Amino acid sequence: MSLKPEILNLKQKLQMENFINETIDTTQLPKYEEVEFSVLHSDYWKVILISLSLFFLIVGIGVGFALYFNEELSSFVFELGLTYVVMLLLAVFFSRLSFKKKGFAFRNHDVLFRHGIIATNTLVIPYNRVQHVSLHEGLLSRFFGLAKIEIFTAGGSSSDIMIPGIEKEQAENIKQLLMGKIQKQL
Amino acid sequence: MSANFNQPQRQSIVGILVMFFYSLQEYAKALWPILVIWFFKFNEINKGYLFGGTMAVFVIIGIVSYLKYLNFTFYIDLDNDEFIITEGVFNKTKTTIQLFKIQQVNINQSFIQRLVGVYELAVDTAGSNKREGNIRAISHALALDLKARLLENESKKTVDFADMVDSEELINKKVIDTEIPFIKISFLSLLKIGITSNYVKSFFVLLAFFISLFDHIKQITGRDVLHEQNVEDYVERSQIATAFLVLLIFFFLTVIMINLIRTVFKYFDYKIARQKGSLLLSFGLLNTKSTIIKPEKVQITSVTQNFFQKKMDVLHLKIKQATGGEKEDHKQHIEIPGCNKLEKDAILKLLFQKIPEKGVMLKPNFRKLGFSVFLTIGLPLIGFYFIRDLVIEQLPMIDYFVVLFIFFIGIIQFFIFRNSRLYINNDFIILQSGAWDVTNKIILPNKIQAITTTQLFWHKNINIGSLTLHTAGGNISFHLGNFTTIKQYVNLWLYEMETSDSNWM
Repeated sequence: MSLKPEILNLKQKLQMENFINETIDTTQLPKYEEVEFSVLHSDYWKVILISLSLFFLIVGIGVGFALYFNEELSSFVFELGLTYVVMLLLAVFFSRLSFKKKGFAFRNHDVLFRHGIIATNTLVIPYNRVQHVSLHEGLLSRFFGLAKIEIFTAGGSSSDIMIPGIEKEQAENIKQLLMGKIQKQL
Repeated sequence: MSANFNQPQRQSIVGILVMFFYSLQEYAKALWPILVIWFFKFNEINKGYLFGGTMAVFVIIGIVSYLKYLNFTFYIDLDNDEFIITEGVFNKTKTTIQLFKIQQVNINQSFIQRLVGVYELAVDTAGSNKREGNIRAISHALALDLKARLLENESKKTVDFADMVDSEELINKKVIDTEIPFIKISFLSLLKIGITSNYVKSFFVLLAFFISLFDHIKQITGRDVLHEQNVEDYVERSQIATAFLVLLIFFFLTVIMINLIRTVFKYFDYKIARQKGSLLLSFGLLNTKSTIIKPEKVQITSVTQNFFQKKMDVLHLKIKQATGGEKEDHKQHIEIPGCNKLEKDAILKLLFQKIPEKGVMLKPNFRKLGFSVFLTIGLPLIGFYFIRDLVIEQLPMIDYFVVLFIFFIGIIQFFIFRNSRLYINNDFIILQSGAWDVTNKIILPNKIQAITTTQLFWHKNINIGSLTLHTAGGNISFHLGNFTTIKQYVNLWLYEMETSDSNWM
């Protein structure tokens, strides 16, 4: 029993001798807000457009059938058509905005992802907090040779990064880079 | 004996059946309303079509299951020490899990799997909420073998670690193993916390209860008990206000009583003991629960106290540990009701080695108040403006209620705004929030997993923005603070996280 305090004391002394605690100048730290972001591949815009038009095509066919078979609805044909066009334009507009806004950057120690339509969200994940990385290729994206990189942390779905619209080869490289970084952290 | 996992391999062949049943289950879940309709109109439907349709669905699901089986492979990549699963028919997904990140490997068997005689192997990495590696059909021997292979790494690591701390552990062991409960929550504290907390929650539970009760009475007797004429039968017009007041007080007392009983039943005989640096909790009157808190797993610690509780020196502690998946979320929230200040400090000291102190204070911009007032008062008022003409005839008093509503919500919003603070020092980040029950959420900077900053474009010029810190036990958010300061702290935290290899769980 008497051994314990002695050992603890010794340990503390050793720690204190090796321990230097200099003040960090927070203004000199690298600034995440000044990082240059890479934008998504321009082909990804085509992927978005195609999936949007598919969606609206299906909705359009549905509405068309409803108009054809339901006589009461036929009198609202102009209003419905107008709503449809306005919705389509809005969807395209916001998709474009969202596409333009998305960007990613890989620094030495962390990965940054910027997204949002009216708000600018910047999500930063240090490599030593990454749990695993996966590569996802959608049917449309595969046709254009694009892939989506998904980076997961232990912080739940709101802290995962999904970067779509990256060239397959580049995505593989990024994945290898991330895996390498994660391993090195050990 | 050991199978070769280094080459990509498929699940056992009967896996097709398992996939088939699972897909069938999924479709049935999605389409059950249609199925119910079919069931009731069974006689009206052409049997031939029905049979043909069902067959077609079965065949399609069968083919999809077969393709899923063909495309599902798993193997261990020895060069990179990774466990790799590829799956998907049209959308291909390749999941890579590094062996050292694997926390748990569970072997389960559902009813369907029992019928077919296979097992499910689930790999848990404390990563995202989704289950990551999941092999649905694998023989028992193979599953055990794979589990051993996946966890090989883990045991190696722990052995190394054990060697290092062995000497220290041995000395500490004797002292700690014999620890008796150092905190017992007294019955009086439980009473205090019971009558002072959860007003809002119990109020709504009770309200829902009464509404459904009246609904039942109405259905059974065919009379509307709440209808004004009925009430007027019993009470004179002039007495209605008194009756209302009595009812309100009665209601309030019921809420308190229910709260009290619930708290006592749930947390009776609350004991906290120390064991090898962990906290051992046990509580409950009828069913006794016991849980363990490992300090290194603790992510968010909340301390809640309202005005009455402050006067009586009781408070409510809530501890969130790192979660593996969404399902376990509730189990991992541990509540310690009714400790006093000294007991709180003792618990916090055990969790953090020191008592958290509040550092630099960040205040939200007044626009936060404006926005919440707009949401909670402005929007309802606009709505009221449109329906006022319709309602005013039936309820002439409605205007007074609206004024009361504005006053009440206004006060709440003001206090929410006034209590919304973020305190930062070197070791702790403390978020204060709440109107009546003021909560302080304490996190350590090294428990942060990721950081999000958010700024609306019209807030750029006035330089305010929001901050969200993601931890393995949930997020904490601070809205509309000085963005320059927030960014500065984000850079600092990132620097600290990236330069140290701290253990976050």
